[in-house]
Amino acid sequence: MLDPTTSNLQRYMDLLSTRQKLVASNIANADTPGYKTEDIDFQCEYASLLNGQAPLAYEPPGLPEKPDGNNVSLDRETRMLAENAMRFNVASNLVTGQIKTIRSAIDEGKNG
Amino acid sequence: MSLLSALQISASGMAAQRTRAEMLVENMANADTTRTPEGGPYKRKDVVFSSELQTSPFSAVFQHEAGQGVRIASVAQDTGPPELRYLPGHPDADANGYVAFPRLNPAEEMVDLLNASRSYEGNVAAITAVKDMITNSVSILKS
Repeated sequence: MLDPTTSNLQRYMDLLSTRQKLVASNIANADTPGYKTEDIDFQCEYASLLNGQAPLAYEPPGLPEKPDGNNVSLDRETRMLAENAMRFNVASNLVTGQIKTIRSAIDEGKNG
Repeated sequence: MSLLSALQISASGMAAQRTRAEMLVENMANADTTRTPEGGPYKRKDVVFSSELQTSPFSAVFQHEAGQGVRIASVAQDTGPPELRYLPGHPDADANGYVAFPRLNPAEEMVDLLNASRSYEGNVAAITAVKDMITNSVSILKS
């Protein structure tokens, strides 16, 4: 919209929202038999999002499975929850900064 | 918007865990119930969770969205034989003086209840985190 940096940030925030949704889904299904943890490969999806593709979910490897076939690790999901929220906070502050820069340019223009 | 459907997913998790806690409390309250409308002693109940795709019909038209909520697929009832206790004076005693009591272990129910409570807290934490993210993106508007 404004410049390449802002539209990259917008994509980044989109991807973080999708990831947060998957984390919410993993936490909600922590006791569902047979449910498998879902996540997105962040780097790979960020690159493919540049080409306009919707992000795909995959099952992260190496998670121990419980006897009922469920492999949600609440510790991992809690960490992801906090991490995503912080990353999103950083990105939204950066967007705010970008808008402030443009606004100050406009305001300076008025005075001249 | 995927953040709003994340709220919906966590809410489905909270509702499912609350129903589970209600069942567990019902089991504990009826630990010594020997009469039920169906006849015989109370039978232990447990919920069966299943995951379910949460999409609003509107967004589903445009894209396939990942992320699943949870719902209660069914309520399972214990089918095992009741526990027989020798209480000859009891009004529900059979000819040999045995009374059929529900087969359930209060310790097991308590552990499950703790588990349900922790899972509920997990969903609440997810809602709080997503709410903060929405607040953050709304604050961009104020800049």
